[in-house]
Amino acid sequence: MSREAHSGAADVVVAGAGIAGTGAALAAAAAGASVIVLDGGTGASHLATGAVDVRPWSLARLADEPIDAGVRTVLDALDAYAVPDGGAAILTSAGVIRPARGHDRAILDVRGVRGRVGVVACRRPGWDAAWLAAAWNDARAPFALGAAFEPLDAAIVRYQDEEVLPEADFAARHDDSARLDWLAERLREAMARAGGIFAAIVLPPMLGVARARAGELARTLAVRAGEASALPGGPAGLRFEAARDRAFAVAGIARIAARVSAIGGPGGPIVCDDGRTFRAPAVVLATGGLLGGGLTYAPSEATMVAELPHEASPPLRLSVMAPVVLGAHGRPLESPGTLFGYSPEAVSWPFAREPLLEQAGVLTGFSSGEDQAPPDASPLFAAGDVAADVPRTFLAALASGTAAGEKAARRSR
Amino acid sequence: MTDAVDAVVIGGGINGTGVARDLTLRGLRVALFERNDLAFGASGNSSGMIHGGVRYLSRAPHVTETSCKDSGYIQRIAPHLLFRIPFLMPLANGPAARIGFELVDAYFRAYDDYQPYKRGELHCRLTPQEIAELEPGLVGETVGGVTFDEWGVDGVRLCVLNAVDAIERGATMQVGTTAESIRPLAEAERTAGAARYAVTARDRATGRIATVKARVVVNATGAWAPITAALGQLPEPAVRVRPGKGVHVVLDRRIGNYGILSEAIDGRQIFVYPWQNASLIGTTDDDYYGDLDDVRATSEEVRYLVQGIARVFPSIRLARPIATYGAVRPTLYAYGKSEDALSRDHRIVDHAARGAPGVYSMIGGKLASYRLFAQELCDLVAPRDFSVDAPCTTHTQPLPGGDHVPDAVALAAQYGVTPVAARRLVYRHGSRAIAIFDRMKEDARDRDVVCACEPVMEGEVRHAVRSELATSVQAVARRTRLGLGACGGMRCAARCGQIVAQELGRSPAFAAETALEFLEQSARSRVVALTPAQARQEALTAAHVRASLGEFP
Repeated sequence: MSREAHSGAADVVVAGAGIAGTGAALAAAAAGASVIVLDGGTGASHLATGAVDVRPWSLARLADEPIDAGVRTVLDALDAYAVPDGGAAILTSAGVIRPARGHDRAILDVRGVRGRVGVVACRRPGWDAAWLAAAWNDARAPFALGAAFEPLDAAIVRYQDEEVLPEADFAARHDDSARLDWLAERLREAMARAGGIFAAIVLPPMLGVARARAGELARTLAVRAGEASALPGGPAGLRFEAARDRAFAVAGIARIAARVSAIGGPGGPIVCDDGRTFRAPAVVLATGGLLGGGLTYAPSEATMVAELPHEASPPLRLSVMAPVVLGAHGRPLESPGTLFGYSPEAVSWPFAREPLLEQAGVLTGFSSGEDQAPPDASPLFAAGDVAADVPRTFLAALASGTAAGEKAARRSR
Repeated sequence: MTDAVDAVVIGGGINGTGVARDLTLRGLRVALFERNDLAFGASGNSSGMIHGGVRYLSRAPHVTETSCKDSGYIQRIAPHLLFRIPFLMPLANGPAARIGFELVDAYFRAYDDYQPYKRGELHCRLTPQEIAELEPGLVGETVGGVTFDEWGVDGVRLCVLNAVDAIERGATMQVGTTAESIRPLAEAERTAGAARYAVTARDRATGRIATVKARVVVNATGAWAPITAALGQLPEPAVRVRPGKGVHVVLDRRIGNYGILSEAIDGRQIFVYPWQNASLIGTTDDDYYGDLDDVRATSEEVRYLVQGIARVFPSIRLARPIATYGAVRPTLYAYGKSEDALSRDHRIVDHAARGAPGVYSMIGGKLASYRLFAQELCDLVAPRDFSVDAPCTTHTQPLPGGDHVPDAVALAAQYGVTPVAARRLVYRHGSRAIAIFDRMKEDARDRDVVCACEPVMEGEVRHAVRSELATSVQAVARRTRLGLGACGGMRCAARCGQIVAQELGRSPAFAAETALEFLEQSARSRVVALTPAQARQEALTAAHVRASLGEFP
């Protein structure tokens, strides 16, 4: 270790506390490394809707994609997700049924549900139970579902402010066991009024933020119960954070709120926006997708200068000073201005059919691990959406994170 | 649709709906076909100013006069829809600046003569100190400046209100329907000597074809006018426009107290002004030869505008662009002139000279003088083709909701919604907001806010579909500004799609499809103006859309 002042040192520093960084940190810690996680703030994992995939869901069917052992270990440590054999069928609050490899435990999986499914009808923003029931009934066919959705009137909104309360806040109220009992009571009454047996109950996103309360509710009711998947900013992202923090505490991983601004060359420091520096023999870069961290979009229009520069400056900026090549279609990008190079239109709105990160050539050499890293590079391991050639999904990010964490722990010895 | 009317109007922009309303008010039966949506082109994508045409004062003062007069009339018929925009024009200090200041002062003194037509304040001459006090965000040393007064309007609403009024008075209108031919009727086909043409139009969604016979056909298709005029083997008409693309950038907040005029890098005049709860930068003017159905701002155009304004108002770079829009002006044709020097006047082309009596093309024009243009056409057509002497009443008959402006705060209390939501509803609907509120009593859900940014209530979305010819999320957004917030519609598009589908009796799959279509359009309009932090959010928005609705089509 050098004698210069720095704010922390560990065997492995992980930049990014989304699902990829979480996987890397837990895997590295499990391999015996000391780990610091630098958390730069909200990203895709925090805005998660609660369904988790290996492949983008529009490409997936209810396939039973294998989950490797390392990923299973991390999922067990998080203790928040179900990845049932054969996958899951998730109801989205936009009225779509989507296949998923797994789900946050608060979310209802309707695969295998046979019979009446009550869609709780209540005054919540954007939640129209009659419409959703009809829409989900309409969307059943490709999934061969045995569920029949119907609205179920239930007075589950207890206070008037809850008619407009954001989903996460509403969900937080159900972390309270007494409130959850009250909810169960209302649902029991509703089912009794509606007569007959229900196979499952689907609720708006509301079943807890500290933990998923669906299991508890289902046990009380003796009926399967769970949420439809939420819009971003819903409770699923908060449940991810809570699960991560519990797992970090158990594993002794320090999570520090700081945004990485630069990672130096071989053995160089990891510098944060606030000036703090960290050192580690191995670094995992898990800062999110194209525009999420590693590579930022920085058009000169956004800078506060009197006159814009005359020459075109690249609209893309790399916040990591590692030896990476910015290029397109296999060539270095010589003038990435808007007229002659990469168009911000294409960069800023990455369609699935345009693998932009891959085309830009960013960190592709790192995606499969240390073997391909340039010889003079610091041991930098890419994980999650920052790496190329992987589907940008929750479980793929977790898998690449876990692999990067294991390799980083080995390298640090 | 009835199979015989007096006049077929092609084009649902401000000229087409304005003419349809005027003809209907004179007792004539009208059918209107619009290929895309009401206010789809220049009418719904202009600066939204009922301005007095101050820039035309030296070149074409009669344009200024007619514009100012009509601004006064529009205030009378739709008082709820207009808002005052005081403009400030700072003048940079430098050599000969004093003389320049005097010239500008004199110019606006001349403009003052027209202000009484539109209830405008007279211009003020400001010292540099006064400018600094009024608009602290301005930089640079000035020799002084002037203020002058203009009025803003929601161009889409103006167009929709003209359409709704015509429909309520008996006109029929079809959106998403392309007129495909204008065929002269043979003598044998003519019944009772009335109809002279058969107009065929195809519904673009269903492919269904409708044929309507009419005595008069009005081509009010703006930049599309030459294409429309060429339909049905009409002889080569003298219908030419010089299409000029203009783009605007919408910023997320009001960044100043005044509209500010500035010069772009090429010396053209551009502006930023407070536009309802946002700010608007405009505009460009470039010849356009692309697809008229798909006009979008480019990042170069955004850069041009932002750079031009930032020279005098640097803090606009801190504001967040939330949308851009582009459209094509149907400027009068001239060869060899620069775009800026083209006339903004309008002209009626009578196809009778080319062997097609009763066919008229409306060329050119401006939002601010749409009513006069419509009146000119109807004053010609009504006596000549129909022997109808009824005078024009479009300047005295209020537009729907324009009879009085109710107190929004009182309505908010009475109907239990937030004052902001009530204020927005009253802005868009005038006295008809009361009827919309009354219908909300039937279903409490109708008072729920779909789009929190604007805000738009579910009841207003239903109203747009039921009474304003909206058939998609995009069309609802056009009429209500739904989704024009920092989130780009990511939290409201799906719900809006559900309501549209419900009202139209369409499937849940249609609901998701129309929501996705809107999100894609809206994203494409934003990406050209993104700031770095926004770019990250866009990526997350895309991820979310995929997570709950599916891939973009």
